[in-house]
Amino acid sequence: MTPEDDAALIALIDRVAARDEAALRALYDRTARRLYGLALRVTSQPEWAEDALQEAFVTIWRIAGDYRASLSPPMAWLGLVVRSRSLDLLRRRAADRTALTQPLDDLLADTLAGDDADPMDNASASELAQALHLCLNRLDRKQREVVSLAYLRDLSHGDLAAQLALPLGTVKTWIRRGLEQLRACMARYA
Amino acid sequence: MNLLNHPDLIDRLAAAYALGTLRGGARRRFETLAREHPSVRAAALTWQGRMQGLTELQPAADPPPAVWARIQNTLAVERDGAALERQRQAPARQASDGWAAAWWRGLGLAGTAAAVVAVIAIGVNRQERAELRAQVAALQTQLAATPRVEYVAVLVDEKAAASMLMTVDGQRGQLTLKRVGGYREADDRSLQLWALPPGGAPRSLGVLGRDAVLRLPADAQALREVPAVAISLEPLGGVPSERGPTGPVLFSGSVIGTPS
Repeated sequence: MTPEDDAALIALIDRVAARDEAALRALYDRTARRLYGLALRVTSQPEWAEDALQEAFVTIWRIAGDYRASLSPPMAWLGLVVRSRSLDLLRRRAADRTALTQPLDDLLADTLAGDDADPMDNASASELAQALHLCLNRLDRKQREVVSLAYLRDLSHGDLAAQLALPLGTVKTWIRRGLEQLRACMARYA
Repeated sequence: MNLLNHPDLIDRLAAAYALGTLRGGARRRFETLAREHPSVRAAALTWQGRMQGLTELQPAADPPPAVWARIQNTLAVERDGAALERQRQAPARQASDGWAAAWWRGLGLAGTAAAVVAVIAIGVNRQERAELRAQVAALQTQLAATPRVEYVAVLVDEKAAASMLMTVDGQRGQLTLKRVGGYREADDRSLQLWALPPGGAPRSLGVLGRDAVLRLPADAQALREVPAVAISLEPLGGVPSERGPTGPVLFSGSVIGTPS
């Protein structure tokens, strides 16, 4: 993401804070693909991801005035809103455990199989996120996946072990090693 | 051991804290430390910023077009609520606004005895409004699968509990009103459905019988201009449309277009 892109997003968020609905639409057009992808990753269900995206944009409409005080890159701030709305939604649907774990199992079959680098297109990510992307790609795929899921879904070691049907010790080891490598790598981008 | 002399350990804890895997007592101790020591706080904030980057690195996907329609509808519901609130609280405009304003104002003056009278979601707290929005969103999703339904309204009572569901089928020119709450009017009373055009007099859409479902012929075109509907409690058989509602409003809601 170039500084110009950031500036354009910040200008849109400012206009949204001034109750400009056309600006909200423009912000949606620019970011919805990326944010829906995020919501999909957190909730793992298209239906819930749609609800989360909807709630996120209604939230953005209400709290856009708070954006500047966050001192965050705009995509990171928008991502945080989408993640927290997605997590709220997951908690509200927590009773339905089977619905939650089923798609996770499918996702894992793909994820834990290979060890290749993530081919993700990160051209639109902030500088910090790009550094993180480089560092994450140095991890084993399964370590990267477990670290990503722990953060995105706000899961404890125990939750992760249960959802991924892995031994607790294995999850703890993957997380510990993943974080150690991430620390060493990210220190270069301090 | 004094943690502050071990920056590497602080950094490790900060990373686990930001990831969310530092839990329980260890998390609380780390938070206390961060509140007391700027260097610990800085490490935590650095890692929170780094982990936030994870939200930017997920594969993109196209959301269905209906999502934007639902966002627009939610904003419209809030706007209507705010507009009705302004209308209700503007005594200076009462003379020129005619019927509608006088009626709304009358409701406002009815005082605590008539506190059952609630308009849209005004006066209900945030939590209830959020629930109402969730209900509306869920119904919209459900109704999006039924393409003939052009408009929907969830009529709520003073506790923002859904009590009536109205749908308008433009193709067949039919309005369907379904009782979903437990409310039953007394034997000598009738419930009457009103369209509330902006700035105009309420217009009667029909009187409810005792059945769970009421079907009325309706002009979808005419309803397009109507942002809200309400149900009042009237003498048995209802009152003529020209007189406007005479009894208290028990349920009301915004008319919302379904995503196309």
